[in-house]
Amino acid sequence: MKASLRRILVAGHKEFLHIIRDPQTLAIVILMPVIMMFLYGYALNSDIHNAQLLVEAPVPSAASRALTSRLNASTFFSVPGSIPASADPLQPFRSGQARALLRLPPDFEASLRRPGGAALQVIVDGSDPSVGSRMRGAVEGAVQKTLMDYLDIEPPHILDQRAVVLYNPEQRSAMFFVPGLMAVILLMISALLTSIAITREKETGTMGQLLITPLRPGEIIAGKLLPYVVLASLDGLLILIVGRLIFGVQVAGNLFFLAICSLIYVFTALSIGLLVSTIAKRQHHAMMMALGATMMPTVILSGFIFPISSMPLFLQVIAHIVPATYYLQIVRGIILKGVGLRELWQPLLILGFEGLLLFGLSIRKFRIKL
Amino acid sequence: MQASIETRDLTRRFGSFIAVDRLTLRVERGEVFGFLGANGAGKTTAIRMLCGLLQPSSGTGKVAGCDIQTETDGIRSRIGYMPQKFALYPDFSVEMNMRLYGGLYGLKGQALRDRMDVISRLLNLEPLLSQRTDSIPWGWQQRLNLACAILHKPEILFLDEPTASVDPVSRRHFWDIIAELAASGTTIFVTSHYMDEVEYCGRVAILVQGRIAALDTPVGLKTTYGHASLGEVFLDVVERAQTTSSTQ
Repeated sequence: MKASLRRILVAGHKEFLHIIRDPQTLAIVILMPVIMMFLYGYALNSDIHNAQLLVEAPVPSAASRALTSRLNASTFFSVPGSIPASADPLQPFRSGQARALLRLPPDFEASLRRPGGAALQVIVDGSDPSVGSRMRGAVEGAVQKTLMDYLDIEPPHILDQRAVVLYNPEQRSAMFFVPGLMAVILLMISALLTSIAITREKETGTMGQLLITPLRPGEIIAGKLLPYVVLASLDGLLILIVGRLIFGVQVAGNLFFLAICSLIYVFTALSIGLLVSTIAKRQHHAMMMALGATMMPTVILSGFIFPISSMPLFLQVIAHIVPATYYLQIVRGIILKGVGLRELWQPLLILGFEGLLLFGLSIRKFRIKL
Repeated sequence: MQASIETRDLTRRFGSFIAVDRLTLRVERGEVFGFLGANGAGKTTAIRMLCGLLQPSSGTGKVAGCDIQTETDGIRSRIGYMPQKFALYPDFSVEMNMRLYGGLYGLKGQALRDRMDVISRLLNLEPLLSQRTDSIPWGWQQRLNLACAILHKPEILFLDEPTASVDPVSRRHFWDIIAELAASGTTIFVTSHYMDEVEYCGRVAILVQGRIAALDTPVGLKTTYGHASLGEVFLDVVERAQTTSSTQ
């Protein structure tokens, strides 16, 4: 037992040396999570911010000027001033100058005070559906509010609707993607890097040489996986720290519980990496397989970006096989909602079960290959 | 005295194909034993069984006193294996590779350092210790392979075509070391299909279609078959064995 543990540690130390001596792997481990956080945090942001909005006012008036300056003051839009009526109102969209166009009638000022009200037209670039629909809502809401203020009238009291937004009241996308990135990064370290590392040993023949030493197959696997568990843990921590310091995402729930759940997820991901490495003959096979079988479904199907409930049934079925789907429920539950085992036992159980299943399968395949 | 390697009717089938057919042999301690055969003659399968990596379909065998079916852990800690293809870590230094293999065989601390000193002096690896393994010439990589295989003082050293692609000077030096190891009691088991490698052996077995077709000293083989070189003996033995098997 003690000798076995020592051999695992020797093999684990060896793997660790490989990693720190390879700048490429090191870069993936340290820089990748940080780069991905900044990319998702800043570039892939569907919050509307400074969208180009044109206001077409054929006859400028006090009302149109008030509207223009109020819209420009909002962080949603950037309004370069009002433009005269044009024969081709769609031209700014084709040239990419505008994401939205608000068209006012020539008698805007007067029609505001007429019974029946003013007729406005909002034209929105809908090529990005989610941005399009958000922009339409934002323009309509802002116009309504600005004109009410301008005319100094109260909205009619028919209903008193109040919304309470839970967990992420400011609706910041960082709150959503930081936990999501945990799922992607941990998977990448655990499944992608291990499958490549094991396949590399098979390719160079060093695996055969290890098998002839007193190292048992199980010890080789354990030694191989050990450093990646450590790396994945460090990356999980790194994401939480960057998320906290740069994106202001605080963990509402129990950190210790989060760590345990993450380790179970890492175990599942390592099993996938192991399984890939028993099938792949070359490093690039392993990489393609790991990317195709794990990264793509995780990014697209797990609910990391797109809600699972909006997917067609067929994809929903696949989504419910992807381990990251369950980890995302868990990690968002802990970080955003601050819930614990009582609420999350179900996804945790499924995740653990998937891990054991995949691990058993890959060990079996690994044995047969010897 | 107990033999280093002893097998009785060792057989391995893959489906209907018989890779190794009733192999019976006995190799004494300190003997340099040559295992000669064409590609596909069953050499690799036989070695894998002797190293405890592959279970035989039938028959028995003992290697370094351990049963090849039940005591494979014991076998693997008592043997050393040097593959024909370089199988160490190119990104590690020479010293790191040695330290790793010593560690895997349970050597540590001062004992490991002492043993590394002895081996690197024996193989003249001292000036290269801190160099990256992929930066040293092939002949030296081969020496490092040997160093890693004998760090733990194995009772039996398996060599797979050890000097197939090495220059004559290095080859000479290599076999001097092998002779030294054998003199100190290490059993050497060499597999090859290169005749000049097995000239250095005490006894040579010629394997044809999974069976031992001839077994004698190199001189004995040449006398029996009336040929001047082992190469001619080999061709002769293979031809005769194939004629017999086709007339059966």
